[in-house]
Amino acid sequence: MSDTAAVTMTFHPRPAAGQPKPWAFPAPERGSLPNGLTVLRCHRPGQQVIAVEVNLAAPLDAEPEGLDGVATIMARALSEGTDKHSAEEFAAELERCGATLDAHADHPGLRVSLEVPASRLAKALGLLAEALRAPAFADSEVDRLVRNRLDEIPHELANPQRRAAKELYRQLFPASLRMSRPRQGTEETVARIDSAAVRAFYEAHVRPATATAVVVGDLAGIDLDALLADTLGAWTGNAGQARPVPPVESDDTGRVVIVDRPGAVQTQLLIGRTGPDRHDRVWAAQVLGTYCLGGTLTSRLDKVLREEKGYTYGVRAFGQVLRSTADGRGASMLAISGSVDTPNTGPALEDLWKVLRTLAEGGLTDAERDVAVQNLVGVAPLKFETAAAVAGTLADQVEQELPDDYQAQLYARLAETGTLEATTAVVQAFPVDRLVTVLVGDAAQIEGPVRALGIGEVTVVGN
Amino acid sequence: MGHTATAQAGSGGLTATEHRLANGLRVVLSEDHLTPVAAVCLWYDVGSRHEVKGRTGLAHLFEHLMFQGSASVPGNGHFELVQGAGGSLNGTTSFERTNYFETMPAHQLELALWLEADRMGSLLAALDEESMENQRDVVKNERRQRYDNVPYGTAFERLTAMAYPEPHPYHHTPIGSMADLDAASLEDARAFFRTYYAPNNAVLSVVGDIDPEQTLAWIEKYFGSIPAHDGKQPPRDGTLPDTMGGQLREEITEDVPARALMAAYRLPHDGTRECDAADVALTVLGGGESSRLHNRLVRRDQTAVAASFGILRLAGAPSLGWLDVKASSGVEVPAIEAAVDEELARFAAEGPTAEEMERAQAQLEREWLDRLGTVAGRADELCRFAVLFGDPQLALTAVQRVLEVTAEEVQAVAAARLRPDNRAVLVYEPLAADDSDANENENEGAEQ
Repeated sequence: MSDTAAVTMTFHPRPAAGQPKPWAFPAPERGSLPNGLTVLRCHRPGQQVIAVEVNLAAPLDAEPEGLDGVATIMARALSEGTDKHSAEEFAAELERCGATLDAHADHPGLRVSLEVPASRLAKALGLLAEALRAPAFADSEVDRLVRNRLDEIPHELANPQRRAAKELYRQLFPASLRMSRPRQGTEETVARIDSAAVRAFYEAHVRPATATAVVVGDLAGIDLDALLADTLGAWTGNAGQARPVPPVESDDTGRVVIVDRPGAVQTQLLIGRTGPDRHDRVWAAQVLGTYCLGGTLTSRLDKVLREEKGYTYGVRAFGQVLRSTADGRGASMLAISGSVDTPNTGPALEDLWKVLRTLAEGGLTDAERDVAVQNLVGVAPLKFETAAAVAGTLADQVEQELPDDYQAQLYARLAETGTLEATTAVVQAFPVDRLVTVLVGDAAQIEGPVRALGIGEVTVVGN
Repeated sequence: MGHTATAQAGSGGLTATEHRLANGLRVVLSEDHLTPVAAVCLWYDVGSRHEVKGRTGLAHLFEHLMFQGSASVPGNGHFELVQGAGGSLNGTTSFERTNYFETMPAHQLELALWLEADRMGSLLAALDEESMENQRDVVKNERRQRYDNVPYGTAFERLTAMAYPEPHPYHHTPIGSMADLDAASLEDARAFFRTYYAPNNAVLSVVGDIDPEQTLAWIEKYFGSIPAHDGKQPPRDGTLPDTMGGQLREEITEDVPARALMAAYRLPHDGTRECDAADVALTVLGGGESSRLHNRLVRRDQTAVAASFGILRLAGAPSLGWLDVKASSGVEVPAIEAAVDEELARFAAEGPTAEEMERAQAQLEREWLDRLGTVAGRADELCRFAVLFGDPQLALTAVQRVLEVTAEEVQAVAAARLRPDNRAVLVYEPLAADDSDANENENEGAEQ
């Protein structure tokens, strides 16, 4: 029933759109410094907080056997003291600039991110260069970082989302592949890391010739060439050698693994497999189809699981690049993630599979495709308003060996992708019999109903 | 003093104009033509502090219902139309307000205004039992996901309950209790709308690549006929003494990965110079990798995995200083607590150094530049200052006020407020390790 009596306003027809204004993903200017460092720069008027991203060619599979986590400890140790500053002094100097500096090791490589107000860029770039050029890696600091990392691990395992991810990677990839193991190492491997191991990893993999710096923001009045020459330009190193990249294999035999968490009020779902990387021509269609499946609250999954049944606060489908190389031998993770209340875990999975089957049988509608394209292409100017967002995407492209105009081309490809193409891509991305399902939840309550669904062999593992 | 090297950055050069429709709707417009986008933000002056006993969580549940259609917009139309136009949207509920926002490509601005007006004026034409039941389940799952199924997830609820004793309007948090969410009826939701959702209880801001004259004409066209009403009751009195006058304490044993020390301190109200001074104080003490508590606990003593101290600014009640320390393995909480007390006492006695002031103010300045660096962030801040302090222009000078705070003011607020007798403490002790089979079916995650 409704309450029309309360309505007394004057209604008007829904307004039509105005004239769109042109917008294009910014094209960076590419160059290099005499030390071999590649530099991408991009002037974004009005963006007073400058973003600098540095890609280092130090992928996780370069970590020595048994030392998983050394890339992470090295990344953190970069900002814990240099040839000029102690760890505490370095942190203080950085914050004096109003800057933040983060470093993160991942499968494709290591990323260092600096954000700083334009007026203090010179000083902050100097600190960044110091961290890259002359990190101290003092025994005491590395030991502290190792202990700190060991203390973090139980917090991650307690988080249902992180626990689910750990299990999915372990299930999908053979144990010999670095991807099967936690990015930041396990208690066993991290405990073995010392300053000598960190320094050896640094010397083997960190050098300007294989690195790229991306600088984005309001660069008006800034002599960036002079700044770079004085800072990152003083970093030295040899040419380095290209590393062979092992092929990514995975086993996506349909199955279910329950990570038992007695008493959990919700079940965390992570359902995934691997797919091609962004060099594959299917990528644009897959982005479009995946959005229609689970990109937002009005996509197929949430339309049922959230807005009809109320089983969840939200379930999303996504594709995330794990590693991407110009030869096309990379891989991405294709997954569906969310959490559902414990008693409705069986019914929610049943509906989820029904959504996938219905999609495979009937395909997407033209209307769905149109709305998805309008959203994915239309939000670009919003999504790339800040310098950090632009710099992050440019650095991703470099890391994934994609051309600098990839993002701009992707928008063009999305706009010309048809309904059938998007349907085919998403159905191939999420075949109902080739999905590994990880459930972190109360096995005593969910195991029976999940077995009854017949979506693959069910195994229960301890938390 | 203050460090104004980037004074004209982000905040400088920004302007805003204010307008008021005959029905009382306040409007704030701010032009910025750098990117072809426009942000619409609507703050309703209602939050969880307006809720009554037995109906906690109603303001937030109601916010969800605002996305379930209105007279001219079927079902999920708000989401579908905005996203289909290349926009993004959401809403959030806090103690003090409920906000709704859309960021649109500039040529789609009119659609966002039409949508907001439609639900402000005609939500009840579409609101039905089915949406109510569905969104009740969604919100209960939101509560489980964000609070009940994560370690330390109920810490915020427990600390605010101590810091604002019953029957204070901030005693309960916006998510509400499961029992109250179950008890809320469709009639409660209708009454809530009739009481609080009115043009004279809202501020609308539009920021970005806009033509102010045209924008104002659209606002008049779509919102102008929505009747004002005065059904709103003021929230219950939030007056409290400046300090708690004694330490409150709760120690709980739960399925958490490590011991933790958390605390909430009562701080000056948002909008005062003392609150800005408290913000600087907490930044010096626990706002980053060079803060005193990080240096002491994480670097030197190595008793903590992480240590932070931040401010939750509140206008209608004392603000909260929020301390969060996760212990390193094998470390007992009293060792951490003694070190925290020592650092706070030293800070209160000596105040910040000139360099600490410089660092803290530089950090806070960058945070402000970030917030004002997007049209959506700017629209939200304009609404915030208009609703809570009656003057949106204050948003544009907020960073300057933080930079004007002196070391003496920082020391004074620390001495007055960061004291053991002005805090609620929450100590977490993990459940004892179980030597038996990890798979055995014990109900160890259940509520204590």
